[in-house]
Amino acid sequence: MKRIGVFICECGPNIAEKIDIDSIVKEVSSISGVEIAERYKLLCSKDGKEYLKEKIKENKLTHLVLGACSPKQHEKTFIKVCEEAGMNPYLCNLINIREQCAWMTPDREEATAKALRCIRAGIARVKYQQSLEKKYLESNVDILVIGGGITGLQTSLLLASDARKVYLVEKNPDLGGMVSSFKSLFEGGNVKSVVKEKMEKVLENKNIEVFTNSEVKDVLGFFGNFIAKIEKDNKITEVKTGAVVVATGCSLFDPGQIAKYKYGKLDDIYTSLEIEVMNMGGRIVLKNGREPQSVAIVHCVGREEKGYCSKICCSYSAKFHDYLREKNKDVEIHNLYYDLCTSQFERGRKDISVTRISDIEEITEESGKKHIEYLTGDGKKESVSVDMVILLPVIEPGKNVPELAAMLRIPLDARGFFAEEHVKLNPVATSLEGIYIAGCVQGPKNILESITQSEAVAGKILCSLIPGKKLEPEVMVSRIAPSLCTGCQTCLSVCSYGAIVFDRENGICVTNEMLCRGCGNCASACPSNAITHKHFTSRQIYQELTEVLYPSRSMKEQK
Amino acid sequence: MNEEFTPKIVGFLCNWCSYAGADLAGVSRLQMPPSLRTIRVMCSSRVDPLFIIKALLYGADGVLIAGCHPGDCHYMKGNYYARRRFAMVKSLLEATGFEPERVQLSWVSASEGIRFKETIEEFTNKLRKLGRNKAAKKVFV
Ligand SMILES: Cc1cc2nc3c(=O)[nH]c(=O)nc-3n(C[C@H](O)[C@H](O)[C@H](O)COP(=O)(O)OP(=O)(O)OC[C@H]3O[C@@H](n4cnc5c(N)ncnc54)[C@H](O)[C@@H]3O)c2cc1C
Ligand code: SF4
Ligand code: SF4
Ligand code: SF4
Ligand code: FES
Repeated sequence: MKRIGVFICECGPNIAEKIDIDSIVKEVSSISGVEIAERYKLLCSKDGKEYLKEKIKENKLTHLVLGACSPKQHEKTFIKVCEEAGMNPYLCNLINIREQCAWMTPDREEATAKALRCIRAGIARVKYQQSLEKKYLESNVDILVIGGGITGLQTSLLLASDARKVYLVEKNPDLGGMVSSFKSLFEGGNVKSVVKEKMEKVLENKNIEVFTNSEVKDVLGFFGNFIAKIEKDNKITEVKTGAVVVATGCSLFDPGQIAKYKYGKLDDIYTSLEIEVMNMGGRIVLKNGREPQSVAIVHCVGREEKGYCSKICCSYSAKFHDYLREKNKDVEIHNLYYDLCTSQFERGRKDISVTRISDIEEITEESGKKHIEYLTGDGKKESVSVDMVILLPVIEPGKNVPELAAMLRIPLDARGFFAEEHVKLNPVATSLEGIYIAGCVQGPKNILESITQSEAVAGKILCSLIPGKKLEPEVMVSRIAPSLCTGCQTCLSVCSYGAIVFDRENGICVTNEMLCRGCGNCASACPSNAITHKHFTSRQIYQELTEVLYPSRSMKEQK
Repeated sequence: MNEEFTPKIVGFLCNWCSYAGADLAGVSRLQMPPSLRTIRVMCSSRVDPLFIIKALLYGADGVLIAGCHPGDCHYMKGNYYARRRFAMVKSLLEATGFEPERVQLSWVSASEGIRFKETIEEFTNKLRKLGRNKAAKKVFV
């Protein structure tokens, strides 16, 4: 037997002034199943909550309909009240008669009619609501960080503590990533403090276990309970973690793919990263051992082909001027760019000369010099002869990214970088809860931006994976009825979270409740009506729908 | 049609954007006709095409589906699915002799109280011109 309690909140004058509460109370008292209907001045107050708890117990209520404010305002408050009164909170229906009724309807009579309609619909719906059990899950708070560049190092340092172990996996023999081959940074500042110190701190930290020359072979499970396999020297170590941070950085586009740049064909044509490494070794020199007297820096190499700008090349190219001039202050430097993308700071540097081009036509060798023929921005043919050419190739996704994405079950964006859950609202999360991305894995970034992302990831993890605290997975998940499912896999194709898998053996689909976020998309996509979206079942929605439109029909049905 | 006629609009509002936008309209005390009958769903992608058709058959003069702006869906791509299904329902309504103007899809964010009010007012006025939904209550599915 359903014993429904209906309580209408006055909210001080907020609701009471606009809505004739007594008439509603009177109307709904006679609806079958309604055990008690009353008004109360402030339901969310301390007294109000006690009042509700008493009424629930006193009247042995099984279901509750509250006419009050928006669920956005107080749903959580009343969930708690129900729990404290020993009632399943999913059998409570909070009806918004304040924000979306009293406050927006000019006429008192109309507002009352609307409120009554909403409450009747709420009563019709609550009868079909089902108790849902909250699940509590033990979680592991340790973290797997893949990639030991500046981003991975920073993330590890922020997260490691006596209560939280970090496993840091780097495929190379050394930590540090790209930044460790830079002698200085374009913004100024000391590279040593940026990367060397972090490396040392990571290696000293007893709560960070570093795996160099290693690779992650598999990641299974879900947020709070991942199991990862790390391979080092043909030996597999299995670790349990609560979250995974992907910080595997990026690669540079291979200029050899575009014939006109003659990269790999002529001597003294280098990529930016090769220049960094050469400079780190002490001197930037030509193949013959001498310092170049003239250099051309060609920007945007591969930008057309890849279809995006990698943002940071113009900025970091500024420091190449310093590298070259440190040894030879009279060196002649030409910058050839398609589009300049840099801050006022570098633009304001009077010592940099730039030429806007629309195309490089050819690079040839003439009496030991590289002769570059190009079209200027306005289409004029010009040329320049230099000793050395530095190419700034666009930043592209790391070589192993597609395999990594498949292993981690997360999608890539149109450029082939790892895709964030939401560009604006959730920039470091991915579609799989508990797997985060930071730094250049997600697209071209300078160090500051990479570090900012690692801090964002650390923040997310620190406030969600708390030692000793159990996780509460989503309760309003979808469920597939095996007897109705035809195995068409429509649901699987619409789920953005990979929460549905096809069970080959039985030829049907199954939801993984740990991954489901409860959007309900699959339920409206299933052609066989096999999917129930808990707490938003079609049945519940139809009750509401019928009642708001055609009361007599639903009332008849319920009798 | 007489001025007093208040059409019945069933509005499926997604929890994260449009429902919050409607709340904001109330909090800002924006006044509008009492034509809307809100049904809250977690995402616009929960709106089964059948919900729309049943609403029209049960007597709704209009059906509104409101969700987050493209790119802003709380569940990544839900509103794109909603848009596709909506286009399908609309052409189905046309083919079966319903008035397709009776269904509307709108994007309303949590900060767009005014847009919510305008959406309701405009749709209400449009339905006033169209008059009562004659297909209502003729068939039950
Ligand atoms: C030529 C050049 C100059 C630059 N100069 C500046 C500058 O002056 N100032 C500035 O702010 N920024 C500069 N940048 C940008 C800067 O390098 C990046 O912002 C930074 O390196 C990003 O760090 P990261 O850790 O995300 O990636 P990375 O530095 O690329 O590190 C990624 C790490 O992950 C490892 N890895 C890759 N795949 C795997 C795998 N599957 N498993 C395990 N480990 C893996 C790699 O070996 C590497 O150690 C420059 C970039 C370039 C190309
Ligand atoms: S429960 Fe909501 S409607 Fe009632 S007093 Fe509190 S804020 Fe106002
Ligand atoms: S869409 Fe429905 S019928 Fe098709 S596989 Fe999924 S649950 Fe089964
Ligand atoms: S409810 Fe949403 S998240 Fe859950 S399985 Fe269905 S489509 Fe995926
Ligand atoms: S959550 Fe608003 S449309 Fe998907």
